[in-house]
Order: sequence, then structure tokens, then C-alpha cells
Amino acid sequence: MILRRTTLAGALALTRAEIADMFQYRVVLFLYSLWEVVHPIVYLAVWGAIAGEGEVGGLRLSDFAAYYLTFMLVSHVTAAIEIYTFGPMIQQGELSPHLLRPMNPVWVAAARNISYKSVSMLLLIPVWIGLVIILRPTFSITAGSALLFVVALVVAALLAFLVGTTFALLAFWTTRSFSFWEIWIGLTFLLGGQVAPVELLPGFVQNLATALPMRYTLGFPIEVLLNRLDAGELALGFVLQFAWLIAAALIVRTVWRAGIRQYSAVGA
Amino acid sequence: MPPDVSVRDLVKQYVVPERAGGLRASFRSVLRRKHRLVRAVDGISFEVDRGEVVGFLGPNGAGKTTALKVLSGLLHPTEGQVDVLGYTPWDRRAEYLSRITLIMGQRQQLFWDLPAADSFLVNKAVFGIDDAVYKRTVDLLTELLDLGDLLTKPVRQLSLGERMKVELAAGLLHTPRVLFLDEPTIGLDVTMQQRIREFVTAYNAETGATVLLTSHYMADVKALARRVIVIDQGKLLYDGALAGLVQRYAPHKTITVHLERSVELPDLNGQAEVLSVEGLQVTVRAGKDDAAEVTGRLLAQLPIADLSVEDPPLEEVIDQVFRGDGP
Repeated sequence: MILRRTTLAGALALTRAEIADMFQYRVVLFLYSLWEVVHPIVYLAVWGAIAGEGEVGGLRLSDFAAYYLTFMLVSHVTAAIEIYTFGPMIQQGELSPHLLRPMNPVWVAAARNISYKSVSMLLLIPVWIGLVIILRPTFSITAGSALLFVVALVVAALLAFLVGTTFALLAFWTTRSFSFWEIWIGLTFLLGGQVAPVELLPGFVQNLATALPMRYTLGFPIEVLLNRLDAGELALGFVLQFAWLIAAALIVRTVWRAGIRQYSAVGA
Repeated sequence: MPPDVSVRDLVKQYVVPERAGGLRASFRSVLRRKHRLVRAVDGISFEVDRGEVVGFLGPNGAGKTTALKVLSGLLHPTEGQVDVLGYTPWDRRAEYLSRITLIMGQRQQLFWDLPAADSFLVNKAVFGIDDAVYKRTVDLLTELLDLGDLLTKPVRQLSLGERMKVELAAGLLHTPRVLFLDEPTIGLDVTMQQRIREFVTAYNAETGATVLLTSHYMADVKALARRVIVIDQGKLLYDGALAGLVQRYAPHKTITVHLERSVELPDLNGQAEVLSVEGLQVTVRAGKDDAAEVTGRLLAQLPIADLSVEDPPLEEVIDQVFRGDGP
């Protein structure tokens, strides 16, 4: 994808309009994303009960609180919603008008992603601050970890967006793209640092989690922020995260081209 | 000057899954899917010059929309060559897309909950229209389409006709040189249809844009296109002047006479058929070749106050063409 001058301006204008459009649905949006953000409380409660006054794998209750409170923000920023926003567009033939504009329609998905997150984030931050006050986490953050966190978070969001888009693009071939997406969701639940921080997973599973892309859309930025990784793990993590990002970009491009070929062959 | 649009031996074939209704058939289709090939467009060729307005005519499923989708770049054809403004449409190059527009009656590219002006600004940015040109174009479109304050109302509050006008305007902001209009008046009331027609005529005159439109409202085609291309079952049946279509396909003429007083009708020698006798008005139908002779005989033998010879209505002619009754 060659970035044209007007593409960037177009994407920006599109995002502005999407944000204005999102505000029409702020109540629905708030309720919808509230659960998204608050459900890690469940994991926190379970791990808190296990840890009690002691620790689990070196993590105390206040560490779990820090992990899952960070999780709330990270999982929201990296949420992939393309299966709900972009997939239906393909299925219902709404792609055609977008294909006739000199801008790749994937930008429409990106604009919607950014607008959804920026609007709902505004509504959720107060809820989050309230939870921080109640749960008293120990954030062991340094300036360096915060800086690296921003990088890891941005790459995680990009990676998650590309993965979400790839699954949404399956709508070119099947009406069941949701089933495939469920597999990804399940793997992220287990290996992405959701049901448990990756460091608590048993050896073999932990290696798997380190190699596979799910952790790099979710658990990795949290571990970076909270200083849970040594220098070697940090370096390996970033190498793998960038590698998966490049791989995902190539996959999206390939799937998009094949999808468009299919779309324009069978009837747009 | 080369033609704006050039189509040679265009074929578009779809693979359509096929199964009978019912549970058993649906189980069977899991194991073995049946497919059928449909030739939506079956070897058509034509050219359109700069500034021409051409109407695509054909019954539902004739292949009109498919042809427009190929021309605008949404579909790539199974066979054949297409050249629009020197581009191959389905490459969908940015420079190409900036020079054309496809407006489909039921599709909408506008943000539903926002005023159309917001969607316009998105198009302005996407097409890289600079401020002065944008303002001029919006002013022109507002005047020609009588948009008034429609642009500042949320799209969902607009009526179907108002939305169509705004949709048209959105599709023309980048002042395309070739317009593909698919059923631009579908679902609109007669007044609004008239409005849209006047607009297309005015826009064509004002900008010199080339227009290809499909419609199954004969009035659209009559008002807009001097040239029509008739397609049925993917094949090109006629390409030429609208008047020529009637001449070629209307097998008969309708002769209406007003009599001065009630008399017995003369023997028409089997050359004409009496359609109706209402008071002193008699309508007969004569074969195209016999019309002159029948008219002469009526004039000679009847006390006639008034006489008119007409081609049958366009609808009837088209119907004739599609049924394959033509010559």
C-alpha cells in the first residue's frame, strides 16, 4: 500500500466524521465497553483469592491488581472490533461505494477503530480511576518502562488491528468468519496474558505463549510497563512483536488482494 | 479524440450456487454443491464519446448493472476489453477513480446520523479537492439540485428523494468526467424523478461530462438519452438513436380518427385492426407498411374531423423487443 498524500488527509477526515458519528451512540457505547473494561475484575478476584495474604509465583495481590488494572486499559486500546465493523460491510455489499474512492477501504476500518476507542475511552477513564482508588495496586513503573510501554502498546494495537482485519476479510469467502475469530479469542484468553499473566503459565505453555502472536496484542505491553521482564526477555519480546507486526501486515495485504479478486469476480 | 468509453466483446460470467428448497436439499448441498454458470453480460461492444448521454435499457436481470459495475471497476470481466478515459477500470487506480463516479439508487455512502456536509468533507479530503474548487462545486450542485438546507440536516431525517439528491451531489463533488448512474430515480415520486432528470441534463450541458445511465423508467430514458443501448439476457439488441429504436421495432402504427358523425366503418381489407370505438373516436392499428394506405382509405371514405398517426408508446416497443417479437 503506497501512502498517498490525500490518503492520510482522507483517513483523518474519516476519523473525525466517525468520531462525530460515534457520539450519537455514546450511551450504548459506554454500556458496551464498560463490560469490556470491567470484566478483568473477575480474573483479579480469582487470583486475589488464590494469593490471599501471600504470593503466587512471586506476585502479591497488589501486583495482580496492577496487572489487571493495566490490562483494562491495554485490552481496550488493542481491542480488535473489525469482525463487527468491517466484516459486515463486506458481507452486506457496503464495500462497493468505498471501493470507488481513491483510498483503500481498510482505512475505513481503521478510522472506526480509532473513533470507537477514543470516544469510549473518554467515558471509561473515570470508571478506571475509581477502580484504582478502590483496589490500591502497586504500579512499579519507571520512566524507561513507561516509554517502552508506549511503543509496545502502539505496536500491540496495530498488530491487533491487522489480525482483526484479517479475520474480518474472511467474509469475502465465508459467512462464518465469526467461528474463526472465536478461535483467536480463545487462544488469546489462554496464551495472551488474559486468564493469567504469561509468567504464571507452566513452562511449555509459557514458551508457546512467547512464540505466538497473541501475547503481543495484550500481555506484553502490561509486562513491559510493570517491569516484569529482564533485559533479555524485553529484547526478545520486542523483536517478536515487530516480527509479528510485519508478518500480519503482509498477511493482510495478501488476503485483501485475494479477497478483492474474489469480490470482483463473483459480484460486488 | 478517442471515445471516453470503449467496450469490446465484454463477457461477465458468474458462478451461482444452486439448490432446491427444503431440508433434504439443504443437507444434500452440504455434501455436493451444485453450481450454475450465468452469463450476465454476453459479448457486448460499444463506444461512448465525450459528452454523450447514453441510456441502458433492459428488463430486470438484463445485465445493465453488471455492465456498469465492470465499467466503474467494481467487477473484472470474464472476457473482453474495456477502456474508460484510457484506464482499465478494474485496476481501480486512484487517478481513474478520481475521474469517474458510480451512483447506485439504493446504495448509500453517507453517514446516516450526521449531516451530509460531514460526509462531503470526507470526500473532499479523500479526493484531494482544494478549497476553492470544492466551494464552487458545492455551490453549483446546491443550485442545480436545489439542495437548500438539506446538507445541514442529519441524513436519517431526509426523505428518500432528498437523500437521493444529496447522494448524487456527494458522488459528483470531485467533478468526474464520466458518470455511471444506476437507476438514479428508483423509488422516487414523479416530481422528484423529473427533478433528477433535469439535473442530469443540466449537469451534462454545464460540465460536458459523459453519462451512462440505466433505468427501467422509460420516461428517464426519453428525457435524457438521445442514444439508447438495449440489453437483454446479457446481449446487445440495439444501439442507436431512440427514434430509430421505435422505427425499427414498432411493427405497427396507431391511427386515431375523430368522425364528424356516426357512420359505418369501411372494410379495412385485413390491413388494420379496430382497437376501439368510443363515440365518434375510432382507433385502429395498422402494420407499419400498410399505415399509409390505411390512412388514405380512411380519409377517402369517412367524414373525418381529425386524424392522427402515432407510434405506439415506447414501453410497448421495448416490451416487443424483449419478447423477441421484433423484426
